[in-house]
Amino acid sequence: MINFKNVTKKFGSVSALTDVSFEIKKGEFVFITGPSGAGKSTILKLILGELAPDGGTIIVDGLDIKNLKTKDVPYFRQKIGTVFQDFKVLPERTVGENVEVALAVIGLPENEWKERINHVLKLVGLTKQINLFPSQLSGGELQRVSLARALVVNPKLLLADEPTGNLDWDTSEGVVKLFEKINEEGKTVIMATHNMDIIKKFKKRIINIVNGKIVTKD
Amino acid sequence: MNIHFRTAVGYIKRSPFQAFAATFVLTLTFFVATLVATLVYSSSKLITYFETRPQVIAFLKDDTGQTDIADLQHKLEKDTRVKEVKYVSKEEALSIYKNATSDNPLLGELVSPSIFPASLEFSVKDLSFAQAVIDQVKGEKIVDSVGFTAAIGGESSLKDVVTRLRTITMYVRIGGIAFVGILGAASFVVLLIIISMRMAVRREEVEILNLIGATPAFIRSPIIVEALFYSLFGAFLGWLISFIAILYSAPSAVTYFGEIPVLPRDTLGLFELFGIFLAVELVAGLVLAMTGSLFAISRVKKSR
Ligand SMILES: Nc1ncnc2c1ncn2[C@@H]1O[C@H](COP(=O)(O)OP(=O)(O)O)[C@@H](O)[C@H]1O
Ligand SMILES: [Mg+2]
Repeated sequence: MINFKNVTKKFGSVSALTDVSFEIKKGEFVFITGPSGAGKSTILKLILGELAPDGGTIIVDGLDIKNLKTKDVPYFRQKIGTVFQDFKVLPERTVGENVEVALAVIGLPENEWKERINHVLKLVGLTKQINLFPSQLSGGELQRVSLARALVVNPKLLLADEPTGNLDWDTSEGVVKLFEKINEEGKTVIMATHNMDIIKKFKKRIINIVNGKIVTKD
Repeated sequence: MNIHFRTAVGYIKRSPFQAFAATFVLTLTFFVATLVATLVYSSSKLITYFETRPQVIAFLKDDTGQTDIADLQHKLEKDTRVKEVKYVSKEEALSIYKNATSDNPLLGELVSPSIFPASLEFSVKDLSFAQAVIDQVKGEKIVDSVGFTAAIGGESSLKDVVTRLRTITMYVRIGGIAFVGILGAASFVVLLIIISMRMAVRREEVEILNLIGATPAFIRSPIIVEALFYSLFGAFLGWLISFIAILYSAPSAVTYFGEIPVLPRDTLGLFELFGIFLAVELVAGLVLAMTGSLFAISRVKKSR
């Protein structure tokens, strides 16, 4: 599903990633761990094509993303569900509308929206908040909106950047259990986190990264 | 309701003053455009009227017999350069005179039918034929003298009248079209400003939509819908206001111009004319909105 070969990424003089190589197979559940500033988000951004590598090769779903044409980027991203560390919810739309936008983006017929939205909001526990605006929500709730939007499109690949960063333990556990469930349905899940309790509790493959270099990748 | 439509409605609701400004300037533009279009239509009708109806009057000798008159009338009717030949008897000539002087009955009382000669009135199809036809008719035995009727503003011949009308109409048209052009440019700029502001406000939204895989078309759709809304609504409203204004003033205008068809006389014709105006204006609004929004979007992209 995902193959990094000697990937390097620099921000000016800062080396965010140095010679990073790993492979993630279809249907895997992987934690990318490491301290803050290690390069976890950078890896996820490279997979999504939000950033371009300075060196090395990245292959996602059989496609070398160097060969991805600008006009094909949207369709490439439509197959990927992303839970963003900074939520990236649309501030001027309600919870329901935020989720709905993802369905509109993938071009799902409008008559199927309601059922899917209700289903996914129930899954993340935001049914009551459907008509609230982001400014009316807590950090944890915003994170779950981001999650609902990522899940509603039924993506092949789920990228989650610190999805439990703003959540208490019980909710965090619930979210990761949700990921497990999705993973059992055959979806590939990649979750960046520095939450050791989560990593310990859910025994998954770990790619540990420190200072932009891979320490362990199982 | 389509999601882009809903998004556009959301924008409009959130910034009603921008929406008002856009609608206002577009309404004004299309209001003036409709008035100018009507003016252009009416003035061209006015010209056509005078161009095609340079009435020539052949005054007949007093003792001409009916058969001679009929012969000449027939001859003129067969002439391809001539049209609308009409016989005016002495009595009719008198009643025309009496009508014309009805506000001063004394003038009407003073005259008797005998001083008004009978005449054959006709028009030439094109002014260039006028002189030749007049010379020919002058040569007819039963014709006493030949003259032009219409003499507006002291012009000595119809040709001068038409030339003068043409000049006036040309200025009216150039002025009107320039005015509409300036207003159109103002509308365009206002649309551009509003769309650019929208793009700036939406920067964060655009970034997020990009990340979740929205196509450029998806991202710009609500903005185009919004621009379309302003321009189509403005076009319709501007048209409607001027149409109502013209409907109100039409009766007096029609009376003032008498038999000159400055506006279609029948309701159906009037509605047809304004239907055409509306259709053209809606298309113009569409073009304005599309070029405006696509231009603004491409500018914003370049500046990034
Ligand atoms: N847009 C950026 N510009 C400059 N430096 C950046 C940018 N994004 C990340 N970095 C730097 O790259 C390194 C890795 O960042 P990141 O991948 O966000 O770490 P993590 O997600 O593991 O906390 C950090 O040193 C960070 O400061
Ligand atoms: Mg991070």
